[in-house]
Amino acid sequence: MTDNKMIICRCEEVTYGELVETAEKFGCTPRELKLRTRAGMGYCGGRTCRSAVDSIALAATERDISEITLKYQPPIRPVSFGKLGDVTK
Amino acid sequence: MTNRILNHPVLDPIDESEVVTFTFDNKEYKGLRHESIAAALLANGVRTLRHHEESGTPRGIYCNIGHCFECRVSVNGEQGVRACLTPVQEGMNIESGGKLLTTVRDWRASQNG
Amino acid sequence: MGKVIIIGAGPAGLSAAITIAEKGLDVLVIDEYMVGGGRLLGQLYEEPNGNWWNGIKESKSLVERAKNAGVEIQLHTPVSNIERIDDEWVIYTESEVHYTSHLLLATGAAETPLPIPGWTLPGVMSVGAAQVMTNVQRVKPGNRGVIVGVNVLSSAIAMELKIANIDVACITLPKMNIPTEKSADPMEVMNSLLHVSHMAPSAFVKLGSKLMTNDFMKRMGITFFPKNGVKMWDIPIMLRKAVVEIYGDGKVEGVKIATISPSGEVVAGTEENISADFVCIAGGLYPLAELAAVAGCPFYHIEELGGYVPLHNEQMQTPVEGLYVAGNITGIEGAKVAISQGVTAGLAIANDVLGGGLESNIQQAIADIETTRDNAYIQFHPEVKEGKRKLQQYWEEHQNKSVAITL
Repeated sequence: MTDNKMIICRCEEVTYGELVETAEKFGCTPRELKLRTRAGMGYCGGRTCRSAVDSIALAATERDISEITLKYQPPIRPVSFGKLGDVTK
Repeated sequence: MTNRILNHPVLDPIDESEVVTFTFDNKEYKGLRHESIAAALLANGVRTLRHHEESGTPRGIYCNIGHCFECRVSVNGEQGVRACLTPVQEGMNIESGGKLLTTVRDWRASQNG
Repeated sequence: MGKVIIIGAGPAGLSAAITIAEKGLDVLVIDEYMVGGGRLLGQLYEEPNGNWWNGIKESKSLVERAKNAGVEIQLHTPVSNIERIDDEWVIYTESEVHYTSHLLLATGAAETPLPIPGWTLPGVMSVGAAQVMTNVQRVKPGNRGVIVGVNVLSSAIAMELKIANIDVACITLPKMNIPTEKSADPMEVMNSLLHVSHMAPSAFVKLGSKLMTNDFMKRMGITFFPKNGVKMWDIPIMLRKAVVEIYGDGKVEGVKIATISPSGEVVAGTEENISADFVCIAGGLYPLAELAAVAGCPFYHIEELGGYVPLHNEQMQTPVEGLYVAGNITGIEGAKVAISQGVTAGLAIANDVLGGGLESNIQQAIADIETTRDNAYIQFHPEVKEGKRKLQQYWEEHQNKSVAITL
């Protein structure tokens, strides 16, 4: 397996090659890289791959130290609709 | 259950007194009360907990503390249950997730081009 | 008077809970894991005085003390969101909605991955996962493992696996790519290990005697680092090899390793296979700050603290009203520092709820954090104090800005 085919985002199966290519082509910030590739947008909410996605984007762009690169969005854990609506069996 | 660490040189022995029976993908297994589903399955030699929805690649535990959701299974019909932080219980019916039927066409080459 | 809510039943959350409950206040601790203790649960090492730091016992005793003090602990309860509505914090869990005026986030840390081709195969796990499986769940992560990533955490856990009679084939570096860059650079890794050896008295100096003695130092020239590694507790630590691929049909069967140059490039034609049924990825820890982020707390990226940390002052108070932080969410450090931070946060909260009177206790608690930090056996970043200094500076700048806006 080549590095380009190596998975970075395990949830959405976004590869290293895809991320590096996109980052180089568009000179993306981490947020833009995420939105373009779906890396970090899967089931885990980017908890696992965020540092890797950050590093790929930050190879070409500057880090803003006063702002989290990849925004956190509630709910930070998946919630079932049954529990959300307080449905009891 | 040969994969358990029964006699640890420093930590106390584990409590093997309460055995529970559960099923994973319709096969019956035995686990210990107070252990996680992931631990009970690994003790039985089961590493693959689900297959990726798109590619069908096998997945098992990764972080083991609830962050990565790689170990999600369905328990008694409820989906998205993390096997690493859910205690195994008597009679639990656990099922792995699998590849979804409709594949997604890869549109990205044309979009980025 | 409502109850104080703490998210995270690790060393910081529990010690804060005990502190607050001992001041006569109601406390609820929420955690998504099935046992209280957090990352403390997995820890096991021998201290220089010969005593074992047994994370399970320490956790049990914290939980016991909390319960005796009247603290309510809700385990297996994930928090999906928090928000401030009017003058209260609303905490959404799967089963209930809680309200509080004072909320402490003690959510700890998550692990940084080192992506390697094949790392989604069952049997590849974070090094913390192997620790929890071994010491907490007491199931072997496998029969023979390879640990990828040479650092304080991976060496400590390698030893824990060894104690549990699990074979560790080697601890080695990941192949260099953008995300693994620092962890894959032999020189960088060597330097970070030498920083650890400066600590004295250090459990690590004793535990890793082979790694840290002069014998090792003599061989420190990375260029001359033995290709087959230096052994620590009989486990080869290989700084001139890297895992280039994890292979297996449906599960881990082994790793392909190659010799690397002093700057980390793979030397072609040196690949060889090492059989293993599990692989641990050890990329280090970063503060798990997601709840502080959705709460709207300002953040600063501080390398020495492990990543983005929520802005807070010495009393563990954030600029967001009623929001406090303690433990690894404020920077990656050991459990003992987390405990002392928990005490400080607990006192600060109790002081605010009770309308003052605990100021001198708080000052003492802040001093205790420093002492604990100075005496820490395991330090994750050599410059943690510099990181804390930066944070304090950001806090002051933020305060000045806020004052200016108010004026």
